[in-house]
Amino acid sequence: MPQVKIIAKNFMDMVASLPAMKLDNLYSNAFICEAILRSLPPLAKKYVLQMLCIEAPVSAKSMEEWVLADGSTKHKVAIDRLLQLRLLTENVDRKRETTYRLNPVLQSNLQKLLVCGEVLPREPMPTNVIGKLPSLENLEDFAVEQWECFLLQLINSSQAERPSNISSSTMKVFQRGLLSQREKEAPRLTESGFQFLLMDTNAQLWYIIREYISNSEERGIDPSDLISFLLELSFHVTGEAYNINSLTEVQSSTIKDLADLGLVKLQQGRKESWFIPTKLATNLSMSLTDSSSRKQGFVVVETNFRLYAYSTSKLHCEILRLFARVEYQLPNLIVGAITKESLYNAFENGITADQASCIPWLFYIISFLQQNAHPRVSERIPSVPENVTDQIRLWEADLNRIEMNPAYLYDEFPSREVFESACDFAREWNGLLWEDSKKMRLMVKAEVHTNMREFLRRAKQ
Amino acid sequence: MAPAPSKLYADDVSLLMVLLDTNPLFWTSSYLPFSNFLSHVLSFLNSILLLNQLNQVVVIATGYNHCDYVFDSSLATNQGSENGRMPALCYDLLQKLEEFLVKDEQLHKEGSEKGLASSLLSGSLSMALCCILFYDLDICTASLCLIFRRFFDQGHSIHNPGYVAIMNSIFSAQRSMVPIDSCYIGSNNSAFLQQASYITGGVYLKPQQLDGLFQYLSTVFATDLHSRTFLQLPKSVGVDFRASCFCHKKTIDMGYICSVCLSIFCKHHKKCSTCGSVFGQAQSDNESASNLKR
Repeated sequence: MPQVKIIAKNFMDMVASLPAMKLDNLYSNAFICEAILRSLPPLAKKYVLQMLCIEAPVSAKSMEEWVLADGSTKHKVAIDRLLQLRLLTENVDRKRETTYRLNPVLQSNLQKLLVCGEVLPREPMPTNVIGKLPSLENLEDFAVEQWECFLLQLINSSQAERPSNISSSTMKVFQRGLLSQREKEAPRLTESGFQFLLMDTNAQLWYIIREYISNSEERGIDPSDLISFLLELSFHVTGEAYNINSLTEVQSSTIKDLADLGLVKLQQGRKESWFIPTKLATNLSMSLTDSSSRKQGFVVVETNFRLYAYSTSKLHCEILRLFARVEYQLPNLIVGAITKESLYNAFENGITADQASCIPWLFYIISFLQQNAHPRVSERIPSVPENVTDQIRLWEADLNRIEMNPAYLYDEFPSREVFESACDFAREWNGLLWEDSKKMRLMVKAEVHTNMREFLRRAKQ
Repeated sequence: MAPAPSKLYADDVSLLMVLLDTNPLFWTSSYLPFSNFLSHVLSFLNSILLLNQLNQVVVIATGYNHCDYVFDSSLATNQGSENGRMPALCYDLLQKLEEFLVKDEQLHKEGSEKGLASSLLSGSLSMALCCILFYDLDICTASLCLIFRRFFDQGHSIHNPGYVAIMNSIFSAQRSMVPIDSCYIGSNNSAFLQQASYITGGVYLKPQQLDGLFQYLSTVFATDLHSRTFLQLPKSVGVDFRASCFCHKKTIDMGYICSVCLSIFCKHHKKCSTCGSVFGQAQSDNESASNLKR
């Protein structure tokens, strides 16, 4: 898989990047301990469990004996991860022997969890106060609708159409990096914004939450508070109501932002108000694969480049419009075609500063089509006809016929020997771009220039 | 396809069936009280559920008159007891277990004098296998975990009535690629459980220190199938492969085997008691007719 610019980094990488002090503070919350434990690679989980009841430090040697010989790389990965998250502390004693100890705060928290079992972060409100709770389907619909509304706004605001019910300030936070805000210009989707739209929902959610957390400091909120709240949120039960009064001020303002995204539903009673977590929120801490949350696909691509999308969603239509020419829209069907022009339109969006990054970008279009393939065609392999994917690649390659390299031109060599040795030198450094032996001229990449100059100076002497 | 680095982490989702021996005959004579034992097991169950959000645990109690599901994590209500002091899992499980034991006792009284003195492993095994097949194995790997206090041993004075049934369920576990882990609490090794684990590729363990039962359970049996391929786990040494004969349930190392249905007999019979095929005349020297069984 090519390197992509937007990395759907997970929550735990973010946690691991927190400063040590804050990280240690996080572990005083049992839910975070649990969420972090669950996010670990299987072997690391195993180690934590194994060391849970051991108070004394365990030597690194004896830990190595836990695994078979061919698992040693996995062992290293697991240990590294545990150290990185400060779940294990490393100690080197006088005899130069390394020992590990489990983080004592985490240890006691997890021990408590084992004895008492899982506890809910807060008690759901009794039903007699709330009356009728929305059904799970309704809640799901709400979450999807809210999320689509957010995405739609991302597309539409780039075309400056209609405003939505999401407050503009929070929208700005979420949209950062996805839309380019140039002065006196309508906001445009950036390349990463484009990739973002073609990702699956889980990855999108991660991206947004990550942005939200990393921007929190500017809004005067401690990122670790936010992380701990978000992780805690994921342990609430979907579809139960929780009292907003039980939240701190920071948390309740966060909840309002999250409600805009459809992570929670806010409701107001006569006296009190409460929030109901949706599936989006409870999936937050899960390091789940997209396959388990895969929705039913809707796109059929034919070998003649025509595209049929069985969808009523406006969002789908807009996303398709990003790279295909939509021909007509029926109540439950969108018919379009992938043409050279429509794709170039898309590539224009994608190609910004970094030329090389449009390869993954193309990969996003194809994988979007494949992932959302209609069940009838998804059984077929490949689900998108080969000639279509190939043609998309070719069209894309058409745009990249020119490659730009900063370079230096050398000419007026004193002798043929010097010229040839200079050519050899440039080849050795893998920096020779072009040579003309008749006129004794050559072109080298800019990064080799200093070395080349040094070489020529020495040759002169 | 899509950037999903988390994919790597999701292959440790497991479905664990725990078969508990609740036979009071055995537990009363034990130096590990049943209540202590239960608290170890409860922590073990909690640890399984803790490791992954999608992990599932089903507990089947095996009494001496019947067996039943006592806990299923997918059905757990997550509502604690009335006073809220006991956590949900313990409360659910203990309550069900109590009902189970009472019913077991009742069945024992109602039943005739023949009251079986061994736990109904075959019944609970087949229940567990049915339950595993019922769940979706695409998203998780299943394993069976037997935790048994003294089990009938071959050579023990008590004959085992369910031998064939147990062997059959072990083989069907093998066919459905479900490893059977067994934790055996007792003085001698149980050949039966050893065989079950060996055949299905599971782990057999006889804890030495019963106070640390939880550590044994969590170290060995909480390992997901994926991690097992590169972890150092107890190896089976000296598995007793001897079979029991169908006629007297005696452990034998040499005997007669029906060529049609592979039933084992310790003596020559005229007719197979299992499939009814008629055997030929026994030859004077037993060696040609008898088959060596490892």
